[in-house]
Parts: sequence; C-alpha cells; structure tokens
Amino acid sequence: MTSEDPEPNPTSDHIMDWLEDSVSFLPSFLDDPYHSGEINGYQWWDENQDLGHDLIHTLDTSLNSPSADAAATTVTANPANPTLSNHLPLPNLAKKRKSADDPIPKTSQNHHNHRRNHGRRINQAEDGNAAVEEVVAIRKSVGNKKSSAKATGNNCNNGNNKDGRWAEQLLNPCAAAITEGNCTRVQHLLYVLHELASLTGDANHRLAFHGLRALTHHISSSGSAYSAPVGTVTFSSAEPRFFQKSLIKFYEVSPWFAFPNNIANSSILQLLGEENDRTCNLHILDIGVSHGVQWPILLEALTRRSGGPPPLVRITIIAGTAETDQNTAAPFSKGPPGDNFSSRLLCFAKSMNINLQINRLDNQPLQNLNPQIIDSSQDETLIVCAQFRLHHLNHNTLDERTEFLSSLRRMEPKGVILSENNIECSCSSCGNFAAGFSRRVEYLWRFLDSTSSAFKGRESSERQLMEGEAAKALTNRGEMNEGKEKWCERMRGAGFVGEALGEDAIDGGRALLRKYDSNWEMRVEEKDGFAGLWWKGQPVSFCSLWKLDMKVSDS
Amino acid sequence: MTDLAISSTMAMAMDIDMDMIDDAFELDLSGYSTTTTTTTTTTTNTTSPEDDHGCAWNLWSPVVDWNVLTGGHDNFHELIESMMDDDDDDDGELNSAHKGDNSSNGGCNGSSTPPTEAVDDEYSAGGDGVVDEDKGLRLIHLLMAAAEALGGANKSRDLARVILVRLKELVSPNDGTNMERLAAHFTEALQNLLDGTAAGSAHASKHFLNNHHHHHRGDEHHHHHQTDVVAAFQLLQDMSPYVKFGHFTANQAILEAVAHDRRIHIVDYDIMEGIQWASLMQALVSRKDGPPAPHLRITALSRGSAGGRRSIGTVQETGRRLVAFAASIGQPFSFHQCRLDSDEAFRPAALKLVKGEALVMNCMLNLPHFSHRSPESVVSFLSGSKSLSPRLITLVEEEASPAPATTAQGGEGAFVARFMDLLHQYSAVYDSLEAGFPMQSRARALVERVFLGPRISGSLGRVYRARGEESSSWGEWLAAARFRASPVSSANICQAKLLLGLFNDGYRVKELASNRLVLGWKSRHLLSASLWTSPSDSDL
Repeated sequence: MTSEDPEPNPTSDHIMDWLEDSVSFLPSFLDDPYHSGEINGYQWWDENQDLGHDLIHTLDTSLNSPSADAAATTVTANPANPTLSNHLPLPNLAKKRKSADDPIPKTSQNHHNHRRNHGRRINQAEDGNAAVEEVVAIRKSVGNKKSSAKATGNNCNNGNNKDGRWAEQLLNPCAAAITEGNCTRVQHLLYVLHELASLTGDANHRLAFHGLRALTHHISSSGSAYSAPVGTVTFSSAEPRFFQKSLIKFYEVSPWFAFPNNIANSSILQLLGEENDRTCNLHILDIGVSHGVQWPILLEALTRRSGGPPPLVRITIIAGTAETDQNTAAPFSKGPPGDNFSSRLLCFAKSMNINLQINRLDNQPLQNLNPQIIDSSQDETLIVCAQFRLHHLNHNTLDERTEFLSSLRRMEPKGVILSENNIECSCSSCGNFAAGFSRRVEYLWRFLDSTSSAFKGRESSERQLMEGEAAKALTNRGEMNEGKEKWCERMRGAGFVGEALGEDAIDGGRALLRKYDSNWEMRVEEKDGFAGLWWKGQPVSFCSLWKLDMKVSDS
Repeated sequence: MTDLAISSTMAMAMDIDMDMIDDAFELDLSGYSTTTTTTTTTTTNTTSPEDDHGCAWNLWSPVVDWNVLTGGHDNFHELIESMMDDDDDDDGELNSAHKGDNSSNGGCNGSSTPPTEAVDDEYSAGGDGVVDEDKGLRLIHLLMAAAEALGGANKSRDLARVILVRLKELVSPNDGTNMERLAAHFTEALQNLLDGTAAGSAHASKHFLNNHHHHHRGDEHHHHHQTDVVAAFQLLQDMSPYVKFGHFTANQAILEAVAHDRRIHIVDYDIMEGIQWASLMQALVSRKDGPPAPHLRITALSRGSAGGRRSIGTVQETGRRLVAFAASIGQPFSFHQCRLDSDEAFRPAALKLVKGEALVMNCMLNLPHFSHRSPESVVSFLSGSKSLSPRLITLVEEEASPAPATTAQGGEGAFVARFMDLLHQYSAVYDSLEAGFPMQSRARALVERVFLGPRISGSLGRVYRARGEESSSWGEWLAAARFRASPVSSANICQAKLLLGLFNDGYRVKELASNRLVLGWKSRHLLSASLWTSPSDSDL
C-alpha cells in the first residue's frame, strides 16, 4: 500500500510536458462561459494538443450539456458543442475536426444545433421518470439523414449475422478440436490460422493472430509463464508516454471506455446533487481501468456546480494488482510501471482550484477491501466506481464476486456505479475450453471490429497497443466476464437496489455517442433504466447504478 | 511370337507418331518455337539432318536419357498420402495437454506441427527461407481449408475467399516447385467455384463448362493456340505413358476383336489429332499371317454447339492427315464426321452405318481428352452405343479412389474427401511428369497450363456440383448399364508392361479386373483402360 504524495512535483519531466501553461486559460473560461465550448483550458494535455482537444470535445460535450442545477442551465443554453468550436480561431483544431468523423455537416451546424437542443428539451419533457428504450431511433429523429441512414444500413448488414467473420470459423473449430482431442484437426486448423494471421489488416486477420497465439499457448504451455511474442505490445510493456498517448487516442476514437466513464461521471454528479449538505466531502473509490483519464472531466464539471466543488475530493484508486504472471492479468487493469497519472491529476486539480487528494493502493486485492483500508469516514459522500474489474474476481470455489459486493455493502457507499462487459462468463467451470474460448473470441471480435472503425481502418501503433491489451482476454486464465443479469442478481443479493440512470446520464451518453462511429448505440433497458453500449446490434457493456437497499441495512 | 509382334508394332507405332506429328505440324511447331520457349527454339535449331524423323521433340523424348534421370524427387503426393492417413488415427492425446503433461504435448508438437512461434516472423509472402516440403504442407492445409469452407459442413464463402487470396500470394502456376504449381491450379479451380456458384448452382454447371472456351479470365490466356496444344500433347506423350497406354491397350483390343473382319468402323468420341489411328493402321497393314488389310472407316464426333466450327475444322484437318497417312502405307480408309447435338449429346441416328462392318466405339476420356465435354455428353455416347450393338467398346478414363469412408457422413464431408482425392491424384500426375522430365520445367509448365489446369478445374467443378456423390467411374456406369466385360488378353497386358519399360520405373500396370488394366504411379492409380461389349440379347 503506497500513498501518493498529494503535492505534485512541478519539476517532474512528464508533468512539465503534460501541463505546460496549465492555468493560463482559467480566467477566460470562468469569465466567459459562452465560450466554454472552446475548451482551450485543457492545455494540460498540451503535449498531445490535438488529441487532448479532441478528447475533451468528445468527452465534454455530453457531460456538460445536460445538468440538473441552475449553473448548468447556462451551459445548456450555450452548449459546449464541438460544432460551435469549429467557428473558433483554432486552426489546428478545426483542421483536425474536419478530417474526423463528424456526422454533422458543417453547413447545417447552427440549424442542427438548434434542433438538437429542441429535441433534447422535448425528450426531457416526454421522458418524465419513465425509462424508455432508447435506441438509434432517437438519433434519427434529431440527427441528420445521412448519419441515420448510415446507422440503419450498418445495423441491417451487421446485426446478428456472422457474415464476414471468418476468423472465428477457424478459431472456434480449433478450440473445439482441442477439447475433443482431435490432434489432426487441431494441426490442420493451426496451419491455416498461421497463414492468415496478421497483426495488421482487417479485424479478422488480427483476431486470427491473437487467437492463434492464445491457442498455441494453451496447447503448448500449460502453466508456464506466458511471454508475449514479438510484435504485440501490452500496457505493461509499453513506454509510459506512449501508453498515455494511446489511451487518450483511444478515448477520442472509441466510446468503449469513454461511454461508461461518461455515464459514471454523470451519475456521480447526480448522486452528489442529491446530497443535502453541499459542503460534504466527496470520496470516490476508483476500481477501474481508466488510468486517470476519467477524472479531469469530472473535476472540471465539479467546478461548475452551484456552490463550487466539494471542499475535498478524495479519489482512492485501487490499482490493478501487480501480477507477475501475465496469465491471470485482466485486460486494461494495469498500466506500465512508469505511469504516474496521480501527479498529473493533482496538478490539474490545482489548476482548477479543487482540493484533490489521491490515494493509490497498489497490490491491494479487491477481496480484502474494507472501510479502514480505504480510510473512509462518516462525513463524506462515498461513491464506488467499479468498471471492468470485478469480473476478474473468482466466482467458483470461493465466490469472491459475491463476497466482494458484500464488503462494498458494508462500506455503505452513497452509490455504486458498476460497468462490466456484457458477455457470458467464459471461465472453465461455466463451460469447457471451447465454449469459454468462443466467448472470449466474441468479446475480442467486438473490440477489434469496433477498433477498426475507430481508427478508420488505419494501422497505428496506438491501436496495436490497445488491441494487444484487449487480447489478453484470450490468454489470461482469470478473465471471465459475466452477463448483465447475473451481475444484477449478485448486486441485489448483496443488499443493493438498482436505480435508473438519470436523464443527464442518458442524454450525456447519447450525445457522446454522436461523436463516434454510427454502429455504436446506447440501449436503455426499460425494466431497470440501465444503459447498455452496443456495437452493430451486439451488446458490449452495461452501466448500472446501485444504492443501498435500506430493507436489508440492518443485517 | 505374339510378344514379338506386339513390340514391333509398338516400335513402329512410336516412330509413326513422330512422323505424323512432324508431317502435319511442321509449320506450327516452328511457330511455337518462336513464341513460347527458348528451349524449343534451341532444339528446333539444332535439329540435325541425320535425325531420322526430323522431330524437334526428340531431344525431350524419354528414349534419350530418361534412364539417367530417375533420381529421387520430392514426391509430395506421398506427403498428402501421409496426411490423409493421419485422419484415420486420431489419438486423444491432446486432451492431456491441458494438464501440462509435456510428454503428451509431443502428440501435437511433432514434426508436422506448424511453426507456432513464427506468427511474428515472415508471413508476408513468398516464404523464401522455407523448406519446400514445409511450404508444400502449408499449401495442402490451405487448399483443404478452402475446400472445407467452400463445400464442407460449415460453409463460409468469406473464409474461402480469404484463403484463396493467401494461396495466390504463395503460388504461381508458372514457377515454383511441383506442389506450388499444382496448388496454383487448384487455387484457380477453387476460385472458379467460388465465383461461378455465385450466379446460382443451376447455371453454374454450364457456365463452368464454357469457362475454358469463352470467358475464362481472358481468352488469350486459356484459349490456347493450337500449336500449344499440339506441342503440349507431344510433350505429354513423350514424358509419360499416359497417352500411349490408352491408345495401345485400346488398339490391341481392337486388333484382336476384328481379326477376321473385312470392314471395320470405329466411332471415336474425341479424336483430337488422331494419333491413335496411325498406329492402328500401321498394325493392320503389317499383319503377317492374316488376311489383307481390312477396310477401316473412322467416324469422329465433333462438337455441335459453340466452338463447333473450330471443332469441325480441327476434325477435318485430322481426317485429311489420316487419309494421307493411310494412302502412304496402303491402308484402305475412309473418314467421316458426326456432329454432336447442340447440348453435346450423341444421337446414334446421326451415325452412318454400313452393314457388315464391325463396329467399335472408342471412348478416350483420360488426359488430354475430354477436358471440354460434360458427363451428360459421355452418358449420351455410352448409352447410345447400346442400340448400335458394337463389337467392342474401349474406354480409358482416369481413376478415382473409391468413395472414401467420410462419404458415409453425407454430402458435406464428401466434397472435401473428394477434393483431397483429386489433389492426391494430380499430385501423382505432377510427380510422374517431373520424374519423366526433371530438367524440362518449361515443357512441363506447358503441359500443365494447356491440359492439367483446365482439367483440374473441370474435375473439381464436377465433384463440387455432384456434392461428392458422382459415380466414381464410367466403367461402373457401363457395368450398371449391363454392358458385358470383354477380357483383356494376356498379350495386351504384356504390351502395356513393355510400354512402361520405356518410362520411369515409378509407373505400374495392374490388372484390376479381367477387362480392366490400370496404369499407376507408385501406389496411386492414374488411368484405367477397360474393354466392353454390347449387352447380350437377353439383356436388351
């Protein structure tokens, strides 16, 4: 357990690189909310100026625009809309945006913007408290024809059928043959996979590459430490600066993590807004995979709260356990050794005049968490933000998942935000090797396929890093996933009750998705009000909000 | 006595073949030599006046130096054989690999395990550093996978397409090892299936058959110049016993069947250049103690439909040549043509028959015959024969393995099994050709391009459309149609053995049934010649 020095070290190299001129923007930002869309304030990303701008645009739009309090009304009226920022004198930015996949034609920007706000108001009016099934249809009604047509077309073509997904037709039979012990067949399929596998090319070739790697690893090494072959990079082997750059780029082009982060931030704001005491400290327990990227947006939004940010914002980060054995490492959970995002966050918070305290717990097994370890106190608002990490917990011999949720319950958080991959469990006791493998492959396919679109089919080392990390899903023994319904069952069993996501979160999520490929969609389930992220008609992840079930609080 | 007669017949026949070819195609050959290969040019130029036959191909003849060159070559069909054998003995060793039992891992890490580490090494194309045998294995796996994706239990056109793209990166029909060139032809054949079937399977058949003559990747490529065909034919004849085995066995049977007839009428399904009949005439006129040479009439079938005009022209040319040759040796002879219907069906009524003639139906379906004709056309010829009550039917066809056990699973696995069988079959053909002419890769390439490529495509197309359920041989078809077996004489068998003595010792001849001789390469059957006669009256 290590605790970060709350004081950022201003001489640290990478901080300097990242935070050059970090505060120069603030006055103008605060004085002139109309120009909030400019977001030149986010020069703390300076090193990656383009990326940073785009990222902030991407993420900011949705988080800013909907809001529950008076201060945010201003924002809604003068939306921090990236389309507006095109008019601003930022040559770099304008150029960048032009080339990016902005579905909104320039000529209709103002008109569209107007309609969009209009649409949102109507939407809010009609929604009331009822949760609605929201799919792309909403987009169609307010979006332009081109993008809705594109979305429909893509959904028709790529919905549930497996056309064009040839790699799985080699990988799954191979896994099945391994299970059956049909050596000849395994050999044959490995030969073919070997010929077609490639780290570059379309998603099938890449899936074949990672799948082949995983299969040969499975056959040849039981138990021996897995060493990534030449050509694949994972987070742990990446150079820290490149890791940061890649992660930001990924957030910029794919909602894979940006969407759940966004929903989570909105929900945190919502939970905070429900507190009577505005002077209560905020304590976030961060069990996630964002490596800090999630928080600047939240911090920035906190400054715009009426009454300003909480007197103290604490973020307790449960870092991915430093596993020496790559076999059990869950994808995305562990950054490279040199990555120290805490100090960057602290520096950013300072620039925002937010009193931020970061407590990073390394090598802290999730199973052992308790109020003492995270140092929580009664006079603070504790919010647990668990994203893509809990599925790593065992659920077999020892039901660590349930146990962990019970320990969460004992911390009595104000709310728990749970985001997970919405894919059935692929552990060895929920099916044989072939069944589990095909589910992992399914997960990776969605990742690779969506990443292809995100990077517009271009080869890039950033993409390779993200994919190399995602591909750990095939090789690690711990990664298991679990379907949404099972998670909900567990949560209820542990003494939580589901709470429909707020309008702001939903609207924000929808607005966010407009920035990305039209094959992405958000589906809000009527029965629980949770938001699902879908790719080409297939579920990818879900975001849920939970509160303590007071009926069982005594137990 | 008989032996002597046979061998002399054979020796003469071989000379005659040379003469005929040379006489007929002198100009064509020189044309070929300037356009195709430098080798040809050289040989043509160096043809010496004292060369008895003046044949440019003599330098490539097996008679020259084949004996020296029968070294061990990479017989990759044995590789296929061993792969196919593997399928039979699936041991369950793999399961234990989960438990980390290293010894059992060996079950999957043997010599034929793909280079798993090499995912990151070069897989860009070419594979220069890769040992041939290893590449051969990779190609076989890819071809098999493509066939599975195209016609196996889990069809995936996307997968088939991507495998074929990869194969095309790896091979070219014009260079590389035997296996690479063979794989190139199979790749192309599979690509034809992939493209052709998209239009709907009902029309695919026709489309496919027409491919070779009309719109097969640009006419000029596959529409071989006549001189190429002749040159390739001559090469094939010199390089292998494929052509002569069929001709000699059939001719010997004909000679025996019509020994006492005054008039003989032979209906030839696919006469091509008519080389078969030159040797028959030679044998007829040189019968020592028999009656004077009988009158020989040959009716050649020509195509009825598109391309018919060309076919008629070719057949006419063959006729002129045969007439001239018969006159030169004093053989009474007449020549006729009979057109097939527009759908290539044979109508017995179209045949002009003369009373008192001994009728022989000659049906050569082996390489290089038949590439452009459909099974329906063959059926019409054979079933039409029934009503004509021929004295003898001579049938030469390629041998397919008996339907493999996997066929029992139904049509799905059957296609892949038949595909592998075809691959095996043609790998034997390629190996045998290479053994016959190890140094003449260009000559082989010509034969492959002109004959084998289209033939592979055709065979595969038939197998594909039949979903692996087609009857495995025409001989069986004849037997089922109650034609009677006509025994192969011991003299005929003897002749076949003598013939093989002139070629590489990898060739085998075997008597599979009383009326059926098989030519094989090592353990693989290549061709069979079978003799039949009309059903007995009671059967009609």
